[in-house]
Amino acid sequence: MRHPATWYSSRTVSADDGMFFEDLQLGQEFTSPGRTITEADIVIFAGLSGDYNVLHTDAEHMKASIFGERIAHGLLGLGIEQGLAARGEPAAAHGLLSALKWKFKGPIKIGDTVHVLSRIAAKSDGPDARRGLVTVERKLVNQHGDVVQEGLTEHLMERRKP
Amino acid sequence: MSGGVLATARCYFEDVELDVPLETPAMTLTPAHVSLFAGVTGDPTLREPGVVPDLLPLCLSSGLGWRVPRPPLAVLAFMGFEWRFIEPLSVGDTIHSVSRTLTKRSMREGGVVIEERRIINQKGATVQAGKLTLLVERRPTA
Repeated sequence: MRHPATWYSSRTVSADDGMFFEDLQLGQEFTSPGRTITEADIVIFAGLSGDYNVLHTDAEHMKASIFGERIAHGLLGLGIEQGLAARGEPAAAHGLLSALKWKFKGPIKIGDTVHVLSRIAAKSDGPDARRGLVTVERKLVNQHGDVVQEGLTEHLMERRKP
Repeated sequence: MSGGVLATARCYFEDVELDVPLETPAMTLTPAHVSLFAGVTGDPTLREPGVVPDLLPLCLSSGLGWRVPRPPLAVLAFMGFEWRFIEPLSVGDTIHSVSRTLTKRSMREGGVVIEERRIINQKGATVQAGKLTLLVERRPTA
């Protein structure tokens, strides 16, 4: 992904666990805990987002669809992915986002259990000398081993002070 | 069912118009939004009071998109998106979104629509923006 400088905000990942840009290694991998997606998760997310698409809310309609049942909102899956990743990585590797590129590859159904595989894919200079840019490749994987979502997230991270 | 016109109206692939800006109503970001989002995503880093989670505005914009002067888009699947985070938001900020369709491509099972979306704060600044790829249902043949 290429981003003009205006895409970077002034925010950085907090280094409160003592990790800095220099501490993340290219190719380093992380595995998150798992989480079972429930009907309540989907109902709460529909209420919060206001997205009541039949895909997520009408069990009868969805019986006749290719999915056969209600599925989780794509953005619910991504939110849960970020939550899981935060529990399986140093703060440095997930914190605040500057950009992302994401694909929804398959449905997440009620009762599915997902976890996150992350890999540090790239490190480059940030918009100033104080910060570096970390690109993380992430996959959200279900209990069958299917990748249901995947993509790249970019994070600005503080450099160790000289 | 006795569903009236409003209850059944949907915007199908054939109805999607290119380059027509659609502006949503606005919504003020509250501590309740942040708490619910933190709870459902389970993100332990969402602890700082007043800080709005990065993904929350985009999630809210998908619901706001149902409140534009057009029937809801008949989305079969959200296929992917590219997004950039330009400025952070705080509780108390008021956001709305503006979107327009950039391209549409017919497929066997429906059509692929690429939508550009911007999230705008109360000062008129674009705080997040990107492109979303959606699979949209064809108008059913009666």
